Parts: sequence; C-alpha cells; structure tokens
Amino acid sequence: MNLRRTAPLAVVLMLSACAPAPTPLGAGAPTASTSTPSASPSAPVVDVPRVDSSLRAPRAAVPPVRVSIADARVDVEVVPVGIETGGFMELPVDPAIAGWYRFGSDPWSPDGNTVISAHIDAPDYPIGPFAVLRDLAPATRVEVVGQDGRSALYAVESVTYYPKEALPTEDLFAREGTNDLVLITCGGEFDSRTGHYDDNVVVVAAPVAAR
Amino acid sequence: MRKTLAAGAIAGLALAAGFAAPAQAISATTADLSVLHAIPDTPVDVYVNGALTLDDFQPGTLAGPLDLAAGSYDIAITAPDAADASAPILQATVELAANTSYTAVAHLSEAGAPTVTPFVNDTKTTAAGEGRLTVRHVAAAPAVDVLAGGSPVVEDLVNPKEATLDLPVGTVSAAVALAGTTDPVIGPADVAIQDGVLTVVYAWGSAADGNLALATQTVTVGHTVPGAVISGTAGYAAQRDATTQGLWAIGFAALAGAAVVATTAIVRRSRGAKHTV
Repeated sequence: MNLRRTAPLAVVLMLSACAPAPTPLGAGAPTASTSTPSASPSAPVVDVPRVDSSLRAPRAAVPPVRVSIADARVDVEVVPVGIETGGFMELPVDPAIAGWYRFGSDPWSPDGNTVISAHIDAPDYPIGPFAVLRDLAPATRVEVVGQDGRSALYAVESVTYYPKEALPTEDLFAREGTNDLVLITCGGEFDSRTGHYDDNVVVVAAPVAAR
Repeated sequence: MRKTLAAGAIAGLALAAGFAAPAQAISATTADLSVLHAIPDTPVDVYVNGALTLDDFQPGTLAGPLDLAAGSYDIAITAPDAADASAPILQATVELAANTSYTAVAHLSEAGAPTVTPFVNDTKTTAAGEGRLTVRHVAAAPAVDVLAGGSPVVEDLVNPKEATLDLPVGTVSAAVALAGTTDPVIGPADVAIQDGVLTVVYAWGSAADGNLALATQTVTVGHTVPGAVISGTAGYAAQRDATTQGLWAIGFAALAGAAVVATTAIVRRSRGAKHTV
C-alpha cells in the first residue's frame, strides 16, 4: 500500500505583457500601442487583488478533541501538541491520549493535512489504543470531533510502515494540496538498546461526506 | 519628483506565497510585488511601466501580489482622475530581483513629504513553531520603539526603516511608542504570529494630523515540519506480538503432538483390535 502523493505545490504565474490588438495590415493604418520603455519587461494589466490592510485576526484553528474508530472500538481524547527540542513532534506521555500537531492544519482548515499521533506504548502505561492502527482495513470510518462540537468523517485509504528515518514528513505534514487525516504511531521491531521502535505506522484517511 | 531606488535583494531560501489565494510563487525568474497605499486621505491611480495597474487606489489598501519577471519597473502614482502617467505625483524605478518578494509602500517621510519605499520581505523558512514579524516605520513621526506585551522589542526605529524578529507562534500585544517611552502612540493591538508566515506591521499616517495607525500584511514563507514522530518507547506491543507468536507456535506444536499421539493410538488399537468395528 502506497502513500498517496500530494499534488505539486508551486505554480509560477507568468503574466505576459498586455499587447495591443493586432491592427490589420493596410496602407496608412496607424498602429495603436501602449507606450512602454523598450528596455523593461511590460507590466500586467490584470485585476489585481486588493484588501483592506487594517489589523485583523486570522482564521482561528478548530482543535480536534476526540478521534474515534467505531469498528476498532477506538475512542481517544486529543490534545494540541507542538514540537520538541530536537525537532520531533511532541506527544502526550500517556498512550491513551493522542496529540494533534497544532502548527499544521485542523480538519476544518481550507487546506492541509490534520496530523494526530499517539504512543503505541510507553513505560508504565498499558499498550495504547493506537496499537490497532496497523490492522485497519481500507474504507474504515474515522471520525474527528472539534472543540466546538463539529465533526469530520474520513475513510481509511492506506496503512503503511515506514522505517523511522524514511518517514515522509513533508508529505504527511503538508499544508497545501491535500486535506487528509494522518494518524501516526510506532510499529515493527523494538530496539531495546535505543528504546525505540524501528518503524512508524501511518494511516492516511481521506475526507468523506457525513451521512 | 523622480527617484531611482535600487532595492537590495535578499536571496529567499524557500518559496514565498502571497497573502491571497491561489498562492503566488517567486521563482528563479520572477519576483512578487505588493503595493501598500499608506498616504492618508489621498486616493490615487498607480501605473507600472506606463500601464494603469491600480485604478482609484484607496489609502490603507494593500494590492497584489503581482508576479513579475525580474527586471526594472517604473512606478508612477497620479491623481485618481489623471488621463495617463504623464504628470505623476510620485515616481520611482524599482529593480526587482528574481526569487524575491517586495512590498512597495507609498507613504509620508518623517517630515511629511510623500515618497515611495520598496521593501524586501524576508521569506526565509521559519523554524517549527515559529513565525516572523517585520515592523516598518512609514509614518510622519520621529523615531519609535515597538513594544510587545508592554516591553520594547525594537528600539529607535526611524522612517523608512524596518526590523524583523522570529517569534514563537501565538498572539503578541503590539504597540508603538515614541523612542525611549512606553506610552503607546499606536495600539496596543493583537498581532497573530503564525507558523510559516511573515506578518508585516506598518506604522503609517501622520503624528501631526493625529491619524497614526497600524496596517498589516501577511506573506506565507517556508515552514519546517517535524523531523520525526517518536511514538513508542517501551516495547510492550512488540513483546506482546512475540508472545502471541510464541503461543501460536506452542499451539501448533501441541496440535502436532496431539495428532501424533492420536495417530499412534489409532494404529495401536487397530493392531490390537479384536472386535470388529
């Protein structure tokens, strides 16, 4: 099963010169043209977006507060998390609580993936509910509930193991061209020397309309 | 008044997208240009290389970004009812370097004279959990300090200079005070610092006319994602897997063993059987 690739990001908009309409070739017909200095590129005459520049608050995020997978009897509290020194995604210590990467998108953002992760296990805690992620079948429904009570529904598209160092973080945490739910935990072999698992288990689920 | 202003280029390390959707992109051959009208009370028309680009452009309005091929551009600012750019109020030639994001600001000098200043927007990639704040002094006012939460974070900023800080994501209560003082002459106002976003705050207007104000512009810059997700530190799940596999192995062995016993018993019974089935 492959991670669905996100669409290419940047599109360079090359606005071409505003050229006058070609005049018919004919004796004595004057040509009309805009006067542009020949050495400089011509400027576009297009509808340029304008906004009022007074200070205003940007869109407020809607933090997820629960993620549920009914078919797998998963119903987990979600809290906002950030980044740890070392550049790792911060996670709640308790595997029974999941973290939503708050510097990325939420399910109701115009664009971007929602990334939610939980420990599969941690010392002195029971094995966490995200241990079932690896067993999810395609099309399994996943629901995310927001802080304001609204909910978003997703269907599982893929479950993938990645060696830790090969986790495609730019794609998974993408902010443009994708609107998926990404659930991450660990899996594979456990290296007791380092105290880490070899792999990440990643579920990608795509938005579906609510019933 | 004709001025030739060479805007120094700061090489951007990441793509910069404008505040407007769809995202604009600077590139190896193009630059972004936004225009801020920060001269109070004076609607204008703006011509770029002789072509009318902004018609009836109102004070306090931000236009763009225009995605333009690198090169030299003649900006002429006229009265709103002017027929063409032959009698501009202000004129400036701006050199746009590729891969760079600019904002050209029409504003008052410290002494109150209209002028145009092209600024380069810092589009370097931000660290995870950080955004960038740039403050630009384009007001007819003396040197100012910029306060965040009541304390100066930028000191002695003069017209038409700027200062840039990378800050943790969150909301900053920003104010502008005359240099060396903490009594706000503008604000305080909440400024959102967003991950992977450059927020520019302009102090504009005229102290003498009592219309000092803050204007804002956001530019999406490169952001940094987490390098890894470490989500398992005990190994219990792996142990459980190993135990489960071990039980299966024992189970199969037991079944295999039971099959051997059963087969042997059947064989013995058959051999010793005296009764007919």
